[in-house]
Amino acid sequence: MAEKFVSERNLRFLLYEVFDITSLLQYPYYAEHTPEVFDMILETALKIGRDMLYPHLEEMDKTPPEFVDGKVKVHPVVRIFMKECGQGGWISAMAPMEIGGQQLPNMIGLVPGFIFGAANYSASVYPGLTTGAAHLINSFGKKELIETYVPKMFAGEWQGTMALTEPQAGSSLADITTSAEPTDQGYYKIKGQKIFISASEHDGVENVIQLLLAKIKGSPPGLKGISLFVVPNKRINENGELVPNDVNVTGIYHKLGYKGCPINQLSLGENDDCRGYLVGQPNKGLAYMFQMMNEARIGVGIGATAIASAAYYAALEYAKERPQGRRLTSKDPTLPQISIIEHADVKRMLLFQRAIIEGSLSLLLQCSKYSDLEIVLEGEEKEKYSLLLDLLTPVAKSYPSEMGILSVSQALQCLGGYGYCDEFPLEQYYRDVRIHPIHEGTTGIHGLTLLGRGIIRKNGKAFQLYLENVQEVIRRAENDPELKPYGLELKDALKRLQEVTSHLIDVATKEGPDLFLADATLYLEFFGIIAIAWQWLLQALSVQKALKNKDGLSEADANFYQGKMYAFRYFFGYELPKIEGLAKRLTNGDGLTVEMKADLFSD
Amino acid sequence: MNTVVCMKQVPDTETLIKINAEGTGIVTEGVKWVMGPYDEYGVEEALQQKEKFKAGKVTIVSLGPDRAIEAIRTGLAMGADTAVHINDAAFYEKADPYATASALAAAIKDLEYDVIFCGKQAIDDDSGQVPAILGELLGLPVITQVIKLEVADDKSKATVTREVEGGHAIIDVPLPAILTAQKGLNEPRYASLPGIMKAKKKPVDVKTVADLGVSVEPMTVIKEMSLPPARQAGKIIEGEDAAEKAKALAKALHEEAKLI
Ligand SMILES: Cc1cc2nc3c(=O)[nH]c(=O)nc-3n(C[C@H](O)[C@H](O)[C@H](O)COP(=O)(O)OP(=O)(O)OC[C@H]3O[C@@H](n4cnc5c(N)ncnc54)[C@H](O)[C@@H]3O)c2cc1C
Repeated sequence: MAEKFVSERNLRFLLYEVFDITSLLQYPYYAEHTPEVFDMILETALKIGRDMLYPHLEEMDKTPPEFVDGKVKVHPVVRIFMKECGQGGWISAMAPMEIGGQQLPNMIGLVPGFIFGAANYSASVYPGLTTGAAHLINSFGKKELIETYVPKMFAGEWQGTMALTEPQAGSSLADITTSAEPTDQGYYKIKGQKIFISASEHDGVENVIQLLLAKIKGSPPGLKGISLFVVPNKRINENGELVPNDVNVTGIYHKLGYKGCPINQLSLGENDDCRGYLVGQPNKGLAYMFQMMNEARIGVGIGATAIASAAYYAALEYAKERPQGRRLTSKDPTLPQISIIEHADVKRMLLFQRAIIEGSLSLLLQCSKYSDLEIVLEGEEKEKYSLLLDLLTPVAKSYPSEMGILSVSQALQCLGGYGYCDEFPLEQYYRDVRIHPIHEGTTGIHGLTLLGRGIIRKNGKAFQLYLENVQEVIRRAENDPELKPYGLELKDALKRLQEVTSHLIDVATKEGPDLFLADATLYLEFFGIIAIAWQWLLQALSVQKALKNKDGLSEADANFYQGKMYAFRYFFGYELPKIEGLAKRLTNGDGLTVEMKADLFSD
Repeated sequence: MNTVVCMKQVPDTETLIKINAEGTGIVTEGVKWVMGPYDEYGVEEALQQKEKFKAGKVTIVSLGPDRAIEAIRTGLAMGADTAVHINDAAFYEKADPYATASALAAAIKDLEYDVIFCGKQAIDDDSGQVPAILGELLGLPVITQVIKLEVADDKSKATVTREVEGGHAIIDVPLPAILTAQKGLNEPRYASLPGIMKAKKKPVDVKTVADLGVSVEPMTVIKEMSLPPARQAGKIIEGEDAAEKAKALAKALHEEAKLI
């Protein structure tokens, strides 16, 4: 296996040079931290990733979880890793200090998730889910609920989950039927079925805590009647012992990839003895759950980028070592073959991967910076970052997810036939990465969210703020002779974005939602490409700044910055032009997919 | 139980090593530095002993330039209590095992300790001499390649297991003593986030060699350093069938490689 699975240098570049994480230290909330703390977090996460997780990557794929006698058996490293993440404080890293967290900025908090995800995506999911679930209880739960569950979850002893999906309600959560019946004991009786719930039962922890959506009997239909519950697999009885809570695993699914983490089918309240504890107010469950979902969506973007990163380094190592073919100009068949990395087409594939991975990671850090600023600022400023985060979350989830698949596909392609065989991890990465456009909302649903909600929300305020942010970067680029042409290209792209968006809003008012949203997924793609171009230009500004001091650069740094410029130019040269085709389609408005009748798919 | 851990910051094994222009050392620029892996076993053992005795202090002592503070902080983040950083780039640059041990001995002599841990070797220059010279300078017994340690309740002696060719030797040693850590002694812990946060507040005593009153000169100098020769291209043995190939192989091993 390749030695490398992430670039430490690139992480440092993004954290310090592009997003200036140290600027957060001026806020009292983050003042306890120092750059040395961030460095050590990076170092330690790399070490855990390299020594504890990466060696089990293939094994966890080849020996997936087993369902035996109602129990789910997972790889032994899950227990070891959850313990490490608990004792090491990784699960509570971003939580406030007053509840035992380290109050780390999300920007640095993202880094372990990325490193662990690149080392072994399946393993990284267990603590990641627990973090999200514990934050949710902490944000909206009563004191008693927090005290009972959060410390155990932070300690890595209890697993957290998000239990939304049901057989008849996946994308459409309005249709969930799991019910909650109030009792006079302070708890609710839960009954129903959940499917596909990640890590919802396994032997790597003592207990699993489901953050579960259900409908309280008599509540309004649809999304307005959904409440959030804590449903432990084992509840605490009067004597303080853990006893079964009538949460039953009825099966596990056999998946394409990401096999190290089970998704289970759950049957709740078969014996009328499943207790759920309400979080917050009744009927507000979905709004609460959005906190965890949004966190998880950024997490999915990170996971997709992480797998693509690992695949890239595997492909890079191979491309340097594999001799095949000769230069087009070489006529002598007795000369030795050259390494495939010398072929322009192989370099194209490698640059494509870098353009996707480094562009995606940048957008994810940008979003994390918005959430950090949202935490420490007040009033209008706070709202600004909250709106930007809300607008960009579907993009930061979907672009890396969709493009991550293509990126891994190109990594696999670099290995030719070997890429398709299991001696190399590429075929596993290819299967593993496929999950991301599906869970945490399909790409289709995120397209609808962006166009149908994000863009028009608050009279387009978030969209306006976003345009201003991009324009700001364009202005800076225009002052740099090297980057000016790219600034102008992005300016044109942004103009296209505005034209297409106004056109679609016009369609919405004149023709109604069907036509307006028919190609929302393509709009998401279109929007995503421009957002990544924005992030690349932002990175290029930092590169130019570093290159100004050329003589002071080490050879390694000089190569790093030059390589960056190529990846940046690749994005502008090869990816950004794709918006033209999309713009054409998005403004066509012939309603082809709306008109096409289901009956016509008869053959 | 009080312990001192001698720790050297060394290049990560994954770092690409280049020889400097003078051919007397390595290019330090662009190198990723880490705590010596054998020293890390020492830190872990010190922490485990402290936890077992529920008392005492773990002090890290390191000779190295400014950058060595990073490895020292890692040790503090793992749980060590304090550190002495002999920060003297000029001395460090030239230091041979004798000079290094002299500086360490001067820093350690006023500290309280029952055991001094060293790694069995530093993975950069691999000389493995420092612990023995340190033992001589401090007048302490030295046991090398330790893979198990049991300290008597009264801390007057320890029973240590060390690796010897083909087996183990179990040795009783009076304390204080110097023990050099070998792989297998323990599984070093990772720094925890709370540990990392605490590490920045832990005291690090920074001293120069002059502060310590050491005025030794190195007894040896490195004249030349070189990388192993690049791997030669392989040779494919040709032949009609297995027997013929085996014959050709034997011939090549005998005549060309001169191995048989
Ligand atoms: C590995 C894995 C892990 C998972 N983990 C969890 C978990 O931990 N917790 C949890 O609750 N769930 C989990 N899920 C479930 C996941 O979130 C759902 O599969 C997902 O939301 C899609 O729901 P569905 O499968 O019912 O597909 P459907 O909703 O039936 O969608 C099928 C297709 O129809 C499209 N579609 C559906 N509705 C619309 C619409 N209104 N407009 C346009 N297109 C539409 C979708 O985009 C999709 O392409 C997991 C799933 C997998 C595979």
